[in-house]
Amino acid sequence: MPLSFATEGEENIIKQVGGKAEVRAHLENLGFVAGAAVKVITSMGGNIIVNIKDSRVAISREMAAKIMI
Amino acid sequence: MKIKIALAGNPNCGKTTLFNALTGSNQFVGNWPGVTVEKKEGKLKKHDDVVITDLPGIYSLSPYTLEEVVARNYLIQERPEAILNIIDGTNLERNLYLTTQLVELGIPVVVAVNMMDVVNKNGDKIDTNALGKALGCKVVEISALKGTGIEEAAEAAIHAAQNTKTIPQHSFSGVVEHAIAHIEEVAVHTLPEEQQRFFAIKIFERDEKIIEQLGLTQDNRKHIETDIEAAEKELDDDAESIITNERYVYIASIIKQCYKKKNNGGLTVSDKIDKVVTNRILALPIFAVVMFIVYYISVTTVGTVATDWANDGVFGDGWHLFGIGAGEYEDVSGEFGDAANVIDAFVTAEGADDVADAIDTESDTFDASAAASALDTFAASVSDDATADYTLVDEETLAEEDVTYTGAELKEAVATYTSYGCEEPDPADYGVWVPGLPGIIESGLDAVNCADWLKGLILDGIVAGVGAVLGFVPQMLVLFIFLAFLESCGYMARIAFVMDRIFRKFGLSGKSFIPILIGTGCGVPGIMASRTIENERDRRMTIMTTTFIPCGAKLPFIAMIAGAIFGGAPWVAPSAYFLGIVAIICSGIILKKTKMFAGDPAPFVMELPAYHWPTVSNVLRSMWERGWSFIKKAGTIILLSTIIVWFTTYFGVVDGAFRMLTEDEISNSILATIGNAIAWIFAPLGWGNWQAAVASITGLVAKENIVGTLGILYGGGDGTVYSNMASHFTVVSGYAFLAFNLLCAPCFAAIGAIKREMNNAKWTWFAIGYQCGFAYLVAFVINQLGSIALGTANVFGIIVSIVLIVLFIFLLVRPYKESTTLSNRAVKVK
Repeated sequence: MPLSFATEGEENIIKQVGGKAEVRAHLENLGFVAGAAVKVITSMGGNIIVNIKDSRVAISREMAAKIMI
Repeated sequence: MKIKIALAGNPNCGKTTLFNALTGSNQFVGNWPGVTVEKKEGKLKKHDDVVITDLPGIYSLSPYTLEEVVARNYLIQERPEAILNIIDGTNLERNLYLTTQLVELGIPVVVAVNMMDVVNKNGDKIDTNALGKALGCKVVEISALKGTGIEEAAEAAIHAAQNTKTIPQHSFSGVVEHAIAHIEEVAVHTLPEEQQRFFAIKIFERDEKIIEQLGLTQDNRKHIETDIEAAEKELDDDAESIITNERYVYIASIIKQCYKKKNNGGLTVSDKIDKVVTNRILALPIFAVVMFIVYYISVTTVGTVATDWANDGVFGDGWHLFGIGAGEYEDVSGEFGDAANVIDAFVTAEGADDVADAIDTESDTFDASAAASALDTFAASVSDDATADYTLVDEETLAEEDVTYTGAELKEAVATYTSYGCEEPDPADYGVWVPGLPGIIESGLDAVNCADWLKGLILDGIVAGVGAVLGFVPQMLVLFIFLAFLESCGYMARIAFVMDRIFRKFGLSGKSFIPILIGTGCGVPGIMASRTIENERDRRMTIMTTTFIPCGAKLPFIAMIAGAIFGGAPWVAPSAYFLGIVAIICSGIILKKTKMFAGDPAPFVMELPAYHWPTVSNVLRSMWERGWSFIKKAGTIILLSTIIVWFTTYFGVVDGAFRMLTEDEISNSILATIGNAIAWIFAPLGWGNWQAAVASITGLVAKENIVGTLGILYGGGDGTVYSNMASHFTVVSGYAFLAFNLLCAPCFAAIGAIKREMNNAKWTWFAIGYQCGFAYLVAFVINQLGSIALGTANVFGIIVSIVLIVLFIFLLVRPYKESTTLSNRAVKVK
């Protein structure tokens, strides 16, 4: 399922990152790669803050929908 | 030998703190060629031959953001002697991702692991020796905030520049290495050996920019492509992702060897704060409280005091040091002023010219005791029951109030008046008085018998111009302290997150809220506050729309229009704010659909830095850098414009001779001629008279000048300023005049700030043009449609208005799809 539907506080493993090449490359540069653990800290109006590779990243709903967990 | 060292690292890893610690005050701040990304260079302390360049914060050497392209181009074209790669010890995995790319460049790399104090405090362990071996470069431990290990890091970088080579220790999987080896052989074998690997990997990733730079032939590309495709097929992924994934797998293996985390899985302090601060229920109230504090201090309280001090004190009459005696002076001057009003009322009513002459302090024959006795005689001749009508005029807005005084009040007034020696109390007699600059300069010029025109130029042109530049600086510095604090403690990034969904709808960034809020106080710091918005499109949009909100200087003007034309109707002022907000929202929606702004919107992805207390020196440094850059970059345009407006206002042809004018002769000035010449432009807006046109021009110096200019132009003759204005404007044309001046180009100071922040002449002119055009059309529609109610409408005007409204609605609702591509602005940079 897409990361945008993940429950707060639960740790998930990223299965795949979709989207256009540049969006995907940017997400991957930030650490959203297949196999990485990701945890949703809070969500607000669809935008979420996640913990990935020991850092916090805020990401919009549109982008979160492209990350499959 | 000169050594160039580049400082590279992720955003928020402490790079700027380290840079400041390394270079101290030996810094040069500018922009990277052709882009608005800030470039900082500085000489290393105690090493005059070592120049350190602070690269933009980046996550990778890919070509997708402007910052990445700028940093990458610098590294491969300028080829610094060494790279000092600063990485955040509390976030090793992500930070090492950049490191694995930097070591491939063939430039000696020294890794500085920052925040070692936090790492140790958490009980985590980093084996820097093992890390260095795994990466193939020297690794040092530092804490940029505490200043530990910094000199060692710099020494290590210098040593590396002179003596060592960094050889990447990591290899990709077999099939990828095979392809890379092949690419090296085919495409990049002419390059120096140590640079080949970086370029080969980039070619493997199909990095268009690098391929273009290298000028590969079609044949070679085709040849290479078969290798890349073979690798992609075997690993079932595209080339770029293969590289990214393998880097992360490699990093994971390094971290396993040399990093021990004490408690795994628990929430960090920052995560806990985020759970509250960005909580769906609490986020907005917390944001509102923070914004209230920022606004209250930097705009209403400390900010106003600072601006008043600078404008009315240093660049005005003068000020009371630390406010000593200020209250006392205000009391006595108020008392004296009231008494003077009563006397004035009776002197006028009774036609007692001899008394008026006697108390005229300007007259050469003035004598305090003679004035006092004249007043006493006069007061005695007026009976206690006699009355005199008087019109009080407010200094700021020229608003009028009718009052009636009695003879009894006159006697009291005379007693008060004479007790001050019939002369206005001098502020210098109360407390510690520091005279303002214009006064000091004026007496200096008088002492050397300076010509009137030169005195005017110096005082009204240059000093007033410099004052206009510097007058805003104190308030700006107060605001910049807050912005620097919010930025460096990490909250600013959260603001963007919290407000993003709301502001995204009309094309602005979550961070646009701050400039607009500050803009209600003054547009200049408001525009400067847009600096915190990273995305170029959002920043430009914010700069263009911020000054639509009425700033403090526009308030007297709004009050004047409300009082003179609308009989003091209470809805006028709120409607001005409403107009401003609607203008911002509509402009945002319309502009984001235009070609200029379409194409490079950024879907929201950003790293949120860990919360931490900023150091005082960093906050102050950031404050000063911004303040100084305003003075330097915006100062010239403001000064020049003020001088030009001064010249055109005070010079003109009287009785066939070109000469300097007094204040009452402004109708003969060059400016009035210009006003007459351009007044027709404003005729469709309902106020095609030269007075209003001239007032709009002087409003460009400072918006509160509109009131003063209208006061001069509509004063004199029969009736008061207000009644003259009421006869020149209808309710409709008055509101159109108000709307135009609220929305059109801001004052020169704000235009200077726009120029500074746009850093591009084309965009500055576009912003000003858009503001004026928008203001014109709004005022046009108000006037034309309003005329229907007055029964003075003309058919042509109504048709044009309706067409405009239809067009406006079309621009608002026309379909638009927010692009999901990250950014193509990078493409423009070579």
